Amino acid sequence: MSSRKPLKQLISEHKKTIILALIIIAGGSIGTFFAIDYLNAQNPEKITLATTTSTYDSGLLDFLLPKFTEQTGIQIKVLSVGTGTAIQYGKDGNADVILVHSRSREDDFINASLGVAGVPYGIHRACIMFNDFIIVGHSSNPANLQTGDNITKVMIKLRDAMDTGNMTFYSRGDDSGTHSKEKTLWAEIGIIVETRWVGQPDRYTETGQGMAATLLMTWEDVDAAHEGYTIVDRGTWFSFNETYTSLKILAESIIGEDLLLNPYGVIPVNPVLHPHVKYLSVSRFIGFLTSPYGQALINAYRKNNAVLFHANFGICDVNSSCPTTDDEIAIWTPFQAEFAGLTV
Amino acid sequence: MANEIIEGILEAIRLIFTFDPEVWGIIEVSFRVSLTSTFLAALVALPIGSFIGLRKFKGKRGVTNLINTFMGFPPVVMGLIVYLLLSRNGPFGTLGLLYSTTAMIVAQFLLAVPIITGTAKAAIESVDPALKETVLSLGANERQLWWELIKHSKKSIIAGFLVAFGQAISEVGAVMIVGGNIRWETRTFTTSIVLQTRMGEFGMAIALGVILITIAFIVNYGLTRLQTGAD
Repeated sequence: MSSRKPLKQLISEHKKTIILALIIIAGGSIGTFFAIDYLNAQNPEKITLATTTSTYDSGLLDFLLPKFTEQTGIQIKVLSVGTGTAIQYGKDGNADVILVHSRSREDDFINASLGVAGVPYGIHRACIMFNDFIIVGHSSNPANLQTGDNITKVMIKLRDAMDTGNMTFYSRGDDSGTHSKEKTLWAEIGIIVETRWVGQPDRYTETGQGMAATLLMTWEDVDAAHEGYTIVDRGTWFSFNETYTSLKILAESIIGEDLLLNPYGVIPVNPVLHPHVKYLSVSRFIGFLTSPYGQALINAYRKNNAVLFHANFGICDVNSSCPTTDDEIAIWTPFQAEFAGLTV
Repeated sequence: MANEIIEGILEAIRLIFTFDPEVWGIIEVSFRVSLTSTFLAALVALPIGSFIGLRKFKGKRGVTNLINTFMGFPPVVMGLIVYLLLSRNGPFGTLGLLYSTTAMIVAQFLLAVPIITGTAKAAIESVDPALKETVLSLGANERQLWWELIKHSKKSIIAGFLVAFGQAISEVGAVMIVGGNIRWETRTFTTSIVLQTRMGEFGMAIALGVILITIAFIVNYGLTRLQTGAD
């Protein structure tokens, strides 16, 4: 006790100095962190990528990005959101580059007439890879989907089973790339989902959540006469197929049919519209993704021993569903030189 | 599912004691954001709250209602507001602070200010009026009176600080929107748990949850000791 007294005295004698010192230390460290954040925002070698949950959650970006950083020193901040949100971040200039999967909305994003005063939001899209969507459900399969059914047949069978009350289709309902694709598939058989099953959640449920939550709800919807189905990209599926073991792939793309294919496009945000974006670093990133090295890395990535993404820059056919234009190739080829000769 | 909980607890112990850099980074970010924002909020809110509690003025009831409303302000709405303010198209867009810990601190700060203001005000008001008169009769000026009242309501003020800190560290919506859940940078316990659940890594999600609850328990235990020892 006696040893504490002088300390107490010391504190009470110098109370003001101590409080001042504490405030200076606290203020100084808080100010330093603010300054670091501010300087990071200005650093041309730190870019922000807004992307979809499927590329991030599958682990692909954690595999690719360190290899890019190692080669160039450029660091990438990843915002993993839905396609709709990623595009909005790009439009607002809150991201430097976007990597998304919704062909029609990408087209709008780079369409000058839909930009600001004739200036498009994004420029020089590059198609870098694709995977595919599958339809999963319980093995009792009340909609009676068969191997080899084409997608039109699959959608008609689903619609009929929903209308007779034998199943529920679980929709993301969140404006994601998967949600867009699902609406496109319904539109193939003339159904506009926004008006078709209004107020009938036991037939068509909009979860408004990510793929994981939607798969969970599909998996839990199981009883003898009535079961859940949903659509999922193969990449995300391989994160969950060992958890939701009673769900099975009931429909997938058949050869020569590209409706279920899922191409990914990477698009720089237009520096004319948002002068602060770090266009040069973004260009080097796209050079990396489209280079033979980057493409080989994409093909080499595995999750649970499954190939998730197929690189397809410069390939144009129905089985890759991604018409690369000569313009894209001409723009990005010079940026690939930096990664020449690297091997996986 | 019960297996996953047990696995999660074991995983939590492993991550902590192997000094997993990612988990410790998440701990660092979570605490830096929550403590900084609560501390800054206290600096602002304590004077305001005690002033309102001490004085009688016209419109006090209105101000009180306003504070009480903002004490329950939905965090996710605050996230949206801060997002719009810091967005490149927003009024502070040129700072480029969206998706940084600074943005998260701003949002948490704005959420914590009403909570600490409200509890400080209530604490000052609940001090026995006799004490106030005694202090004044001893010839204290207003500044001295204010300081005495603060000292006497220390416990309630610390409790208010704890509530604000608890809200900050367990909040998910606002920090997700303005922080962006960027790995190594703005990922916190809560946003990381959302991500791990989305990725199907339930074990990791539970491990992070266990660590968060354990740390919250230790912090609260420590502060409660401080509080009871503060008489």
